[in-house]
Amino acid sequence: MATPILQVRDLRTQFMTDGGIVTAVDGVSFDLHQGESLGIVGESGSGKSVTALSLLRLVPDPGRVVGGKVLFKNQDLLQLTDDEIREVRGRDISMIFQDPQSSLNPVLRTGFQIDEAMLAHGRPKAEAHARTVDLLKQVRIPAAESRVKDFPHQLSGGMRQRAMIAMGLSNAPQILIADEPTTALDVTVQAQILELLGDLNRELGAAVIMITHNMGVVAGLCTRVIVMYAGQIVEQGTVEQIFANPQHPYTWSLLRSMPRVDAVRHERLRSIEGIAPDLLHPPAGCRFHPRCPFRIEKCYTDEPVLEEHGPDNLAACWVTMDRARKEMGADDLVDIRPGAGSGVHKGQVK
Amino acid sequence: MAQAAQIQPTPSAGAANALVRVENVVKHFPAGLGTSVKAVDGVSFEIREGETLGLVGESGCGKSTLARLVTQLIPVTSGHVFLGDVELTRMHGEKLRQQRRQLQMIFQDPFASLDPRMTVGDIIAEPLDNFGVLRGRKRNERVQELLRLVGLNPNFNNRYPHEFSGGQRQRIGIARALALNPKLVVCDEAISALDVSIQAQIVNLLEDLQQKLKLTYLFIAHDLSVVRHISDRVMVMYLGKIVEIADSVGTYSSPKHPYTKALLSAIPVPDPKIQRGRRLVELSGEIPSPINPPSGCRFHTRCPIAHLPTPCADNEPPLEEKVRDHLAACHYSQDV
Repeated sequence: MATPILQVRDLRTQFMTDGGIVTAVDGVSFDLHQGESLGIVGESGSGKSVTALSLLRLVPDPGRVVGGKVLFKNQDLLQLTDDEIREVRGRDISMIFQDPQSSLNPVLRTGFQIDEAMLAHGRPKAEAHARTVDLLKQVRIPAAESRVKDFPHQLSGGMRQRAMIAMGLSNAPQILIADEPTTALDVTVQAQILELLGDLNRELGAAVIMITHNMGVVAGLCTRVIVMYAGQIVEQGTVEQIFANPQHPYTWSLLRSMPRVDAVRHERLRSIEGIAPDLLHPPAGCRFHPRCPFRIEKCYTDEPVLEEHGPDNLAACWVTMDRARKEMGADDLVDIRPGAGSGVHKGQVK
Repeated sequence: MAQAAQIQPTPSAGAANALVRVENVVKHFPAGLGTSVKAVDGVSFEIREGETLGLVGESGCGKSTLARLVTQLIPVTSGHVFLGDVELTRMHGEKLRQQRRQLQMIFQDPFASLDPRMTVGDIIAEPLDNFGVLRGRKRNERVQELLRLVGLNPNFNNRYPHEFSGGQRQRIGIARALALNPKLVVCDEAISALDVSIQAQIVNLLEDLQQKLKLTYLFIAHDLSVVRHISDRVMVMYLGKIVEIADSVGTYSSPKHPYTKALLSAIPVPDPKIQRGRRLVELSGEIPSPINPPSGCRFHTRCPIAHLPTPCADNEPPLEEKVRDHLAACHYSQDV
């Protein structure tokens, strides 16, 4: 396989809070290949957004990237000077955010704001202006010529997000990071934006990192998936493997806890007992063990490492679902309380 | 507005087991210069005793306004809301307040809906205090009973909301809604702000409570997968109108309104094999303004199967029974 365009190694980001140090991203490593579309999924507080912000050194105070490497074109983005990283942002790697309402400046015309993204990287004004109209057409905004003069409040939520995507694409970046780009939008608009991102990914060949809590979004758009829990990667694999044969109990539980619009009959949802850990005091051993139905004694003390469990599949689990299926009858398990499958400290939530 | 008079009440209206009946309810909010936002514009339906009626639609379609009309938190512009045989829309003041004991709400934001300076015990007991129902030790016992009912430690009554997670706060909101033994609980996006794994916990809790306490739910959400899961019947709204009502299996497996079909096609399914093969029904344009809704069928400006100009842009389709217990407001429902 060709060399990845982005290599993240052992990334660690901490927040210095009054209560102590919170390690929001704790040793995250992954590769991003040219033109691929990678999903990072997790619940709130899992560290998925902070991971994305850390790549571009955009972590707000009191947060700080304290370790690791982010290798892009053989240079470590974490070692660049402030001026150098500013050159990379928006030109080589650009980012779109959840809320298009607050990402655009309300007192500046939409077109001007897109021009600005190109002017910042040295494109001549006339050329930038012409390209803005093309970009708006590319993201399928109707009547693009007149829309460039609109203020953000004159656009609908979906159109604002399209304008943000146009801005993100303005310098033809190699990587587009989308942080929950459709969460604030209605489902019909979400579907349109996802289609647009998919098309752009194929047409322009820019790699996309899609950060989301919605497994459905990942299923439609991504080729590879990273699942995060409590600041760490718990599983990584192809989209087919993650959905058909997840190896980490958290991935497995998450998929089963979602009601599906195409469900045939009413089944009780298999929720995950307990709540995500407080990262000020993360649990010892595996961070998922207080909620895991398949925990064994080792999970209480030893932290599992991300290991290969199949082609293209990494999971950080001492048990893995293959074993849980074979030995603990995972597929027929009705009781989903912690320890229910393995019988270790059954039902105790710490 | 002239078309509002054409709306037929649902054929089954008045059935013996209807807990709440809504007839031709209209809510217009003044928007200046003599215009008004037609948030809910001639809506009729019933909520049957013991069922969960799901209400879906995109932002701005009027679903939250409708919830507030059903609970009579805001007055109707015209139309009637009945609770059993009692007409709420004719009541005022203390009489209405007493009726409202039977109608409770659970809100979306578990952070904004709990007073940060009250203890959990006082929050849950506030409805009891408001109606002077229980005092002293009986009151505290009821609070502890409610906490146990929603799966929280009964000794948490002296703690404050900030000590709890989002899911736990939503449980507190549920306990408060149940304090007065209501008949109808309106859940307005009650799980939308929660994480996936916590959503499942709360959905399961709501289902358990419904069985145990014989509750009736009006469950409002924009997440169609959750609504399908929890609801017996589902009602779809577009621009202040109901476009379809049917049991949840019917709505999802054979929608009779093109808007419902488009909405369903837009929900991503968490399975790459299926999701890749699904086709999105694209809607052209944006949702029109509720100040000046389109003529005839309000959906005609975006409808993929509209026959234009007539009848779709001229005549408003009535909400009528297309197959047994499956109502839709569409001239061409057989083509959906």
